[in-house]
Amino acid sequence: MKGIHLGEFEELVLLAVATLEDNAYAVSIQSELHERVDRKANISAIHTALYRMEDKGFLESTRGGAEAKRGGKNKRLFRVTTYGYNMLKESKATRESFWNVLPQISTN
Amino acid sequence: MKEVTPPKLGQKLLKWIISEELYDDIDGDLTEVFYNDVSDLSLAAAKRHYLWSVLSSTRNIHLRRKLKFYNPLVMYKNYFKITFRNILKYKGYSFINIFGLALGMASCLLILLFVHNERSFDGFHEKKSNIYRLDEVQTFGAVSAQKVALSMYPMGPNLMADYPQIIDFTRYWTLNRTLLNIDNVSHYLENPVRVDTSFLRIFDFKLIQGDRDKALNESLNILLSESNAERIYGSENPMGKIIDIPDFGAQFTVAGVFEDVPDNSHLQFDALVSTLAWDDEQRKNAWGSNYLNTYLELANNVDIDALESKFNDFLVKFMGEESLDYYELFLQPLNEVHLGSMDITHDYNNHKKFSKASVDIFLILAFFVLLIASINFMNLSTARAATRSREVGVRKSVGAFKGQITGQFVIESIMLALLALVVAIGMCYGAINTLINIIDRDLSMNLFFEPFNLMLVLVTAVLIGSLSGIYPAFVMSRFNPVTALKGNGSTGGRSTFRSVLVVFQFAIAIAIIIGTTIATRQLNFMQNLDLGFDKELVVSIDMYGDTNEKYDVLRSELNNQPSIIGVTGTSQKLGNNLHQTSTTYELDTARVNGSSSFVIVDSNFFDFYKMEIVEGRALSKDFAADGQGRSFIVNESLAKELGADGSDVLGMPFHFGGTDTLGAIVGIVKDFNYNKLNLKVEPLFMSNQPWASWSEINVKIKPGNIQASLEEIEAVWTSLFPQRPFEYEFLDDHIDAMYQSEQQLTQVISILSGLSIIIASLGLFGLASFTVRQRLKEMGIRKVLGASVSQIVMLLSKRFTVLVLIAFIVAAPLTYYLMNDWLEGYTYKITVGVTVFLIVGVGSWLIALLTVSIQSLRAAKSNPVDTLRIE
Repeated sequence: MKGIHLGEFEELVLLAVATLEDNAYAVSIQSELHERVDRKANISAIHTALYRMEDKGFLESTRGGAEAKRGGKNKRLFRVTTYGYNMLKESKATRESFWNVLPQISTN
Repeated sequence: MKEVTPPKLGQKLLKWIISEELYDDIDGDLTEVFYNDVSDLSLAAAKRHYLWSVLSSTRNIHLRRKLKFYNPLVMYKNYFKITFRNILKYKGYSFINIFGLALGMASCLLILLFVHNERSFDGFHEKKSNIYRLDEVQTFGAVSAQKVALSMYPMGPNLMADYPQIIDFTRYWTLNRTLLNIDNVSHYLENPVRVDTSFLRIFDFKLIQGDRDKALNESLNILLSESNAERIYGSENPMGKIIDIPDFGAQFTVAGVFEDVPDNSHLQFDALVSTLAWDDEQRKNAWGSNYLNTYLELANNVDIDALESKFNDFLVKFMGEESLDYYELFLQPLNEVHLGSMDITHDYNNHKKFSKASVDIFLILAFFVLLIASINFMNLSTARAATRSREVGVRKSVGAFKGQITGQFVIESIMLALLALVVAIGMCYGAINTLINIIDRDLSMNLFFEPFNLMLVLVTAVLIGSLSGIYPAFVMSRFNPVTALKGNGSTGGRSTFRSVLVVFQFAIAIAIIIGTTIATRQLNFMQNLDLGFDKELVVSIDMYGDTNEKYDVLRSELNNQPSIIGVTGTSQKLGNNLHQTSTTYELDTARVNGSSSFVIVDSNFFDFYKMEIVEGRALSKDFAADGQGRSFIVNESLAKELGADGSDVLGMPFHFGGTDTLGAIVGIVKDFNYNKLNLKVEPLFMSNQPWASWSEINVKIKPGNIQASLEEIEAVWTSLFPQRPFEYEFLDDHIDAMYQSEQQLTQVISILSGLSIIIASLGLFGLASFTVRQRLKEMGIRKVLGASVSQIVMLLSKRFTVLVLIAFIVAAPLTYYLMNDWLEGYTYKITVGVTVFLIVGVGSWLIALLTVSIQSLRAAKSNPVDTLRIE
C-alpha cells in the first residue's frame, strides 16, 4: 500500500460519493460537502480530487444525465470501487485503532 | 430579452485549460453551477463565480492531458548533436557559412560602434537639451549668404539681459598656442581657451581639483587639463602655482585641474582662463566683429522659433537697422553641433565634425552587408538541404511531424548564427585597432557587453538565424520520405528563389563597389587638382608677437641658407576659410560698400606661390605704394563682382575696413582654391599692409634632402628665438588634412565594399560547389560520352554568368543615378564614365567565374568511374 494515500479532502469527497449513491457528480458532491460538513470547496478542487482518485482506482465513472442547465452536457457520475471502499474502511480502522488506545477523556 | 449564458471569454479560456477528454464533463459542471448561482444570487455574482472557477481550474491543466509521444529534451539534445556533427562533417561549407555570416556581423557591429560614437558627441552634459549654440547667417554683398558658427563678444551678456528665456550664457574664445614660462622653463599650451565664469556651470566638464563655481571668477586664474598639469608639474600639486605668460604680460594662478576633455566633445581645450582679463569697455561694445562662439542655456520648454524671431529686434537695438542686411541669428541645439554643422563655415571649434548623411550612409551599408551575409547563409543552408534528405527521410518515417523537422532546422540555423556571432565578436577584437587608426575615433568593444546591448545583439542574431533558417527548414520538411530515402530527394537543383537571392546579393555588392570607386576617384581628383598655387615643399611656421618683430632678420637669414628658395609671410593660412572684411570702392558714380575675403601678404607672395597674374601686375617691392598698403590684388571672382566684365577693374580706387583714403587695384590674380574644393572660390583681395603681423611664415625648400633643409630652418629659428621651440607643418599635409573626413569615409567604405564582394563570392562558392556535387553523375555520363573538360566547365559556369549579368543590369543604372546625384554637391567633379561600370562589371563577373570554375573544374576533372559507381 505504500505510495497510495488518501488525503483528508479526498476522503471527504470519497465519502460524499459513497453517500450520494447513483447521483454522485461534481456539482452534487459540492453541495453535499457544503450541507453536511459546511465545507465550501471550489468546483475545480473537487474535479482534481475526483479525477485523481479515478486514476488511483478508488472511483469509477460513467456518463449520463444530460440537462439543459448543463448546456446540454452529460454528467460524469462516479461510483466508489471495492478498492475505494477498502481504502475508506482502512482509513477508519486506522483512526479507531488510535481512539481505542487513547486515554479516556471526559467530553462532557 | 438578453440570453443568460456564462461569460464567453471564460468558456474559451476553459476550453484551452482543460484537456479535450475532460472538457465536456467539466464544462457541464461549471455551467450547472453558473445557472444555480443565477437563480440563487445575481447574474453578475454568477459570472464572477464562473470566471473564478475557470481560473482555479488551471490547477487541473495537467489532468488527463494527451500522452506525450516524445521527450522534447532528448530531442533537443539530439538536434545539438546532429548540428555539430554536420558542422564537422562538412568542414568547408560550415566554414564558409559561419565565416561569411560572421564577417557580415562583425562589420555591422563595428559600424554600429562608430555610429554610436558619432551620436554620443556632447551627450555627457546634463543640461544638453537646454544648451544652444548661437550662430549667424552672414550676407555680405559679394559673398553669398553663409552660415557661420561665430558670434560677437557683446551678444551673450546682452541676450541674457534682454530675454528671460535665456538663463545663462558662456562665450568660448580660443587663444593661439601660448608660451608659458614656469621657473624659466618654456612650455607651450596648445589650446587654451577664454570662457565666461558660467562655463563650468553650463557644461559638465569634470573638475579634479578646484571649485567649479569660483575657479573662473578671478581674472588671472588658469585651469589646466590633467595631462598638461602632469606634463608641467609632474607629481607636484599644481594648485596655487604661478604661471608667467609673456604673451599677455601677466602672471596666472593655477586654480583648478580638469579631467582631459573626452574625445566625444566638440569643444576641445587644454586650459581655461576667464574672459574677465579681456573684458574692457571697448570690447564690451565691439559690435560687428565676430571672433568667438557663444553658448546659451535656455529655460525649460522655451519655444525656439519664437525666441529666434525676436533676434532681429535685438540686432536692430544694438547695431541699427542696416545690420539686418548683413546678419541674422539662429540657435543650434547642442546635439546637432557635431553632426549637423556641415553647412556651417568658420566653425573652428568643432572637433572631428562629421556629416550626418555620412553616418546614415554607414548605417545603410552596414545593413546591406549584413543582408548579403544573411542571404548567403540562407542560400547555403538551402543548398545543403540536399545532403540532409536521408536524415529527413528517416526522421519522417520514424514519425517526426513536419513541424518538428522545421523546428529542428530553424534551431540549427539559430545555433549557427550564434556561433557566427561569437566568431564575429572575435573578429571585432582583431580589427578594432585598425579601425580606430583609420577613422581616428575612440571606440571600445565594452559597449557590447552592457546588458541591454548584449541582449539586443543576441536577439538580432537569433532573429537572423531564425529568419534565414525558415526557408530551408520549410524546403526540408516538405521532403517526401520515400524519395528522400531513395537518395534523390533533393529539390535544390534549380531554384528560382535562390537564383533571385544570388542576383540580389551581387547587385548590392556591385552597386557598393561602383559607388566606392567613383567616390575614391572624386577624392583623388580633388586632392591632385591644380589649386592655382604651388603647395609643394612649402614649410609653414607659426609666428607670434615676439617673432614678428624680427621678421625681416628671420627672412634674410633664411634666404641665406643654401637649400631655401624663398620666404614669405601671410596673415592667414591657405587651405582654410579666409576671414572677411568690409570693402569700399569707387565706381564712376559713387562710392560703394561691399565685402570680400582677404589676406594680408608679403610682397613676394605671388612669386613664392607661382600664382598666375591675369592682368596688371603682382605686388612688388619696387612700388612704394605696395609697401604702404595702397595697392591691391583681387582675384577673378572679386574682379567680376566689381566691374561688369572684370576688365575695367585695374586702377579702380579700393580699400577696406572703413578707411577713407582709397588705394587702387593693381592686378588681377587667377582664381586659386584656398579652401576645400567642394566650395567655390569666393571673392578675395590681397595686399601688403605696413602694420602687417604675420600669423605664419612660409618657407619654400629645394627638393632633395628635406631633412637637411628643415635643420637649416631650425638652426636659424633657434638662434633668433631661443625661447620658442621650433615647430612646423608642410602646407600640402595641411591641405590634405582638410579632406580627412572624406578620406576616412572612403577608406571605411572601401573596406566594406571589399567585404561585400568577398561575402557574396563566398556564398557563390558554396552554392556552386553544391550545384556541382548534385550534377556529378550527369557530368560523369557526359564525360563518358566524350565531353571535354572545357565544355563541362562552360556548362556549369554559364548559369552563374547569367546571374551576375542580371545583377549588373539591375545595379548599374541605379548606381549611376545615385552617384551623379552625389557628385552634384561638388564644384570640381569627375564625370562618371562607362569605364568604371565596365571594369567593376567585368571584374565581378570574373570573380564569380573564378569562384564557380574552381568547383566546376573539380567536377570536370573527376573520374567518371568514381562518380558513376555509387548508386
